[in-house]
Amino acid sequence: MFILSDVYRMLIGIGDRVLSTSMKKAVKWDHPAGPKYVHFWSPVMKSSLVMAGIGDLMRPAEKLSLNQSISLAATGLIWSRYCMVIIPKNYFLGLVNFALGLTGLQQLIRIAHYHHTHPKELTKN
Amino acid sequence: MASLLARGLSQLKSKEMRDYLTSTVSNKIFDLLKFANWGLPLAALADLKKDPEIISPKMTVALCFYSMLFMRFALQVKPKNRLLFACHFANECAQLMQLARFLNHKYGTPKPMKQYQVPSDLVQSK
Repeated sequence: MFILSDVYRMLIGIGDRVLSTSMKKAVKWDHPAGPKYVHFWSPVMKSSLVMAGIGDLMRPAEKLSLNQSISLAATGLIWSRYCMVIIPKNYFLGLVNFALGLTGLQQLIRIAHYHHTHPKELTKN
Repeated sequence: MASLLARGLSQLKSKEMRDYLTSTVSNKIFDLLKFANWGLPLAALADLKKDPEIISPKMTVALCFYSMLFMRFALQVKPKNRLLFACHFANECAQLMQLARFLNHKYGTPKPMKQYQVPSDLVQSK
């Protein structure tokens, strides 16, 4: 974990030296919700959840977990409302959480559709 | 222990709590949102008894990495967010359990584990 911190700090130092001022303005290098601050990296991690959810589109509907879909949808939608009121406003986090909420919702809809079309089967979820 | 629980429940049912939950204080959303992330570990714990077929490997691995990073994040922000740390610690444990069940189900053998037999020359019988 300490090695990763050093790699990160080295990359930030390189970025500070190499990028010109106009490039920094374009990329928003010094913004309080930018790559130098911690508010930036948490939505990057949450987007990995969104990508896992998109990757799950290929799974058959009977193999989805109902509990996990409900909790993902709830946490995604609640956080996307929360992100709009905190200071600094973190639109990136809001977008990622909204996408997570939508992922959870699509899983729930698929489970509901499966239950609707196969009413008599005893499913695992 | 029972009196502690009784006192805790009576505090939850008290008038102050009911007033707080129905009020429209502007900071209330932050106080309630601290518990929003608990859905994930509780869902994983509820799924422990179910069929391992419903475990999705991509989501489980992604949640393991996510919880590891957020455990560190919760302790590095000022002020330290120990509730978030506890939530993600619980989630990490639950997801690792689900991952183990999934791997066992997919790649494990149906044979039970062999009992380890103590070699007879080690045992000294009187």
